Amino acid sequence: MALQAAKPLIRRHSELGIFLIGAVLIVIFATTSEGRWANLYNIGTILQMTATLGLMSLGVALVIGTGEIDISVGSTFGMGALAYLWLAMQIDPVVAVFAALAVGAAIGLFNGLLVTRSGTPSLIITLGTLMIFRGIAIALTEGFSFSIPYADRKGWAYFLFGGGEFLRFNTALYWLIGALVVLMIVLKAMPFGNRLLAVGGSAESAHSRGVRVDRVKLVTFVICGMLAAFAGALEAGKLGFADGSMGRLMELQAIAACVLGGCLLAGGRISLPGALMGAFVLSSIQSYLVVTGVRPQWFLLILGLVVVIAAYGDRTLRQWALKK
Amino acid sequence: MTNNQPLIQVRNLDLYFGAFHALKNVSVDFHAGELVGLVGDNGAGKTTLIRVLCGIHTPTSGEVFFDGRKIVKFHPKLAIDQGIETIQQSVGLCDNLSIARNFYLGREPVKRFLGVPFLDFSRMRDMSTKVIRQFGLRDNVSADDEVERLSGGERQSVKIGRAVEFKNRVVIMDEPTNHLSVREREHVNELAVQLKEQGLLVIYITHDIFQVHKLADRIVIMENGEKVADAMTDSMSAEELEEVIRQGGRVIEKQEAV
Amino acid sequence: MKQLVRSQGLGAIIGVAVMLAAFTLIDFSGWWTIQTLANVTQFTAILAFVAIGQALVIMTREIDLSVGSVYGLAGVAFITLEPALGVPGSFLVAMAMAAFVGVLQGVAVVKGQLPSMIVTLGGLFAVRGVIYVWTGGAIHNFSADARLHPLTRLFGGELLGIEAAIFWLVFVAGLLSVVLWRMPFGNRLLATGGSRESAESRGVRTDRVKIWAFVLCSLLAGFAGILTLCNQPQTHVTLGENMELEAIAAAVIGGCLLSGGRGSILGAILGALIVVSFRYELIALGAPSSWYITFVGAVLIVAVIFNQKLARFLGHSV
Repeated sequence: MALQAAKPLIRRHSELGIFLIGAVLIVIFATTSEGRWANLYNIGTILQMTATLGLMSLGVALVIGTGEIDISVGSTFGMGALAYLWLAMQIDPVVAVFAALAVGAAIGLFNGLLVTRSGTPSLIITLGTLMIFRGIAIALTEGFSFSIPYADRKGWAYFLFGGGEFLRFNTALYWLIGALVVLMIVLKAMPFGNRLLAVGGSAESAHSRGVRVDRVKLVTFVICGMLAAFAGALEAGKLGFADGSMGRLMELQAIAACVLGGCLLAGGRISLPGALMGAFVLSSIQSYLVVTGVRPQWFLLILGLVVVIAAYGDRTLRQWALKK
Repeated sequence: MTNNQPLIQVRNLDLYFGAFHALKNVSVDFHAGELVGLVGDNGAGKTTLIRVLCGIHTPTSGEVFFDGRKIVKFHPKLAIDQGIETIQQSVGLCDNLSIARNFYLGREPVKRFLGVPFLDFSRMRDMSTKVIRQFGLRDNVSADDEVERLSGGERQSVKIGRAVEFKNRVVIMDEPTNHLSVREREHVNELAVQLKEQGLLVIYITHDIFQVHKLADRIVIMENGEKVADAMTDSMSAEELEEVIRQGGRVIEKQEAV
Repeated sequence: MKQLVRSQGLGAIIGVAVMLAAFTLIDFSGWWTIQTLANVTQFTAILAFVAIGQALVIMTREIDLSVGSVYGLAGVAFITLEPALGVPGSFLVAMAMAAFVGVLQGVAVVKGQLPSMIVTLGGLFAVRGVIYVWTGGAIHNFSADARLHPLTRLFGGELLGIEAAIFWLVFVAGLLSVVLWRMPFGNRLLATGGSRESAESRGVRTDRVKIWAFVLCSLLAGFAGILTLCNQPQTHVTLGENMELEAIAAAVIGGCLLSGGRGSILGAILGALIVVSFRYELIALGAPSSWYITFVGAVLIVAVIFNQKLARFLGHSV
């Protein structure tokens, strides 16, 4: 009876599955690691990882919501990091963050224009831009060094963009929470969000109701690019250096986080908190393997299995909830 | 005719999908206060024609005038802004959104807070609840339910309800009675007549000539992307018109030749 | 001639012609040498295997992101198991492992009704993880005996100065072309991608067809890995990384539409030739090696848009 009552709830909240998985994993991790996982320092590390991956996942989730996909975010992340480091050193961190955002917006605009103007699948277009900007990032870092010595990273601006901790947590986490709140409001309570989901649910129907489908997609790609580049800037702000491979494979993790979080790849149904929880679960697994001394090689294997099993579990749960 | 200036005037319209010639030199006038039946077999080009009128397709050549002004850009947004409301056959509702969100899709009512537009949920909900009750949807369906849960007839009712609610100058109905029960069908047909009497142009698309003959002032028959007949219902009987459809327009050619 | 124009490979044929003309103009003496051509064709053959497999999967309207990892896994298994099983034994086991990955992914996609992108994304991670865990990052080599084994020579040797991989490619591509265009399976494969419901309604078991496509794709990727290692018997954990991107690029350049049902084996091979030639020529011209990735990405985007325009021009609805 109680299970029956849960059905409508699950129907409406696709992210419940990942929160369930997350809760189970937290208990397992906390009890089997003899306090090495569940301590404030380690949680802080996990949350910092979650923050950068999560910002990227939020953007990817929005793009998935329109029924498209963006796998170029890993390279956008790297380009954002490089733009930030280059300008933070020479001019000012605040200017640098805006530059990183501009770079991200430009890449997103490029993706969006190619997808909407040519009508080709976004998977291929963003696969292409993933490679284009990865190559550029590597080429840039081969000639120049992108690092800021620790001693130079002083001042509130560095502190604000990933370089410091507030209430024991990296400042990136607060940016993530801010982005989540803003995007949730946009998605759920503003006309743009309504149109975004409509485009993903049925682009034809949305078009017939006068929604400018291409424009919605374009804006979403730009937002996604900006978030990924901003995440890159925050990561660079924390590390103080970057190389050409920064953000590699992160696009896949971000997509995995979205799927774990109950976002439907076909579009129209996404959950932003779910995507964040997905990012948190992925980061937690990674950290658990590190603190328990499991060779980090296992991470990829486990990540792969978790992605497929979670996708399957999510689907089963959904089908069960839809049954009368 | 009610007046001389047609509300919608289509002139020499041609439309190609790739190599497929979907509309062939179609010219037709529609006047305000008229209920026009657009009839033809499957694939005759009826739906394609009205998809041009409501801005989904851009014609390859030819002109469309609305209220005397030539239409330069075709987009559903512009058509809706002009007051052309369309009930599409297969599209119009997004399964993943609630009824209330679908109802106002593309022209969401907003409350501004510090200049930022927020959806006006209470208005969206009240309005759509009113319409779904009026159209007799099941009592346990609320405006917050996703369209995914609705049956074919219920979806159709929501679409018709939406078009009637936003009625402006033109209502185009594409096979509006598909999926509907006999009682619902009568309701829709009554609505079509009511809208006409309020001075709107109603274009009613169907392949059932007998049904529309009773309602319409004028019947336009299409065949293979061409307009083959355009007759007032008091000048031709339903049987004669059916014969035209069956002959694929050849009867008319013969008459014209004579 | 008309058939050629209608075929999906047309875009790739035009691409190869343009590319060869460009390279001839830019770098005539560097490009048209035995050494260059031998290297380019060898690497083309390897990538073409993976690209053909990818093309088969794309034709059924799915995608396989795991091919790079499967390529690496088969290669690593082949080398690592050789001391215990001998060359033929390790070859069979390596191919069986590749096929097993294909079956698993195919079943997960078909029976689990999951998007292939997610399943094979998981496969990409998991199989790469297996490689890491198995080798622990160590580099393995073939023994001198194994290098001289007839089977190794058959896969990795030369005949008349031409690498064995090229003969294998001609053979396998010919075989698959016959299967695809002359046998019922090929018809069903294309029908499955073109319109799944229609194929199903005509009694085609689209489930099986899809699983077979995934298995073939993994087998081809695995075989490519083994061919590579027979030629240069040294493994590394990163073997085949990013290869999925190159393979998808090659298949798409070769005229495969992601909407399924259309594709070309010749096109995939030519696509691979374009990708590999760009890599080689950019390095030869002294560009930093990283620019190659950028160029493949750019070529991919140009190719997909060009192929789509071409298909529309020829009257296909895409």
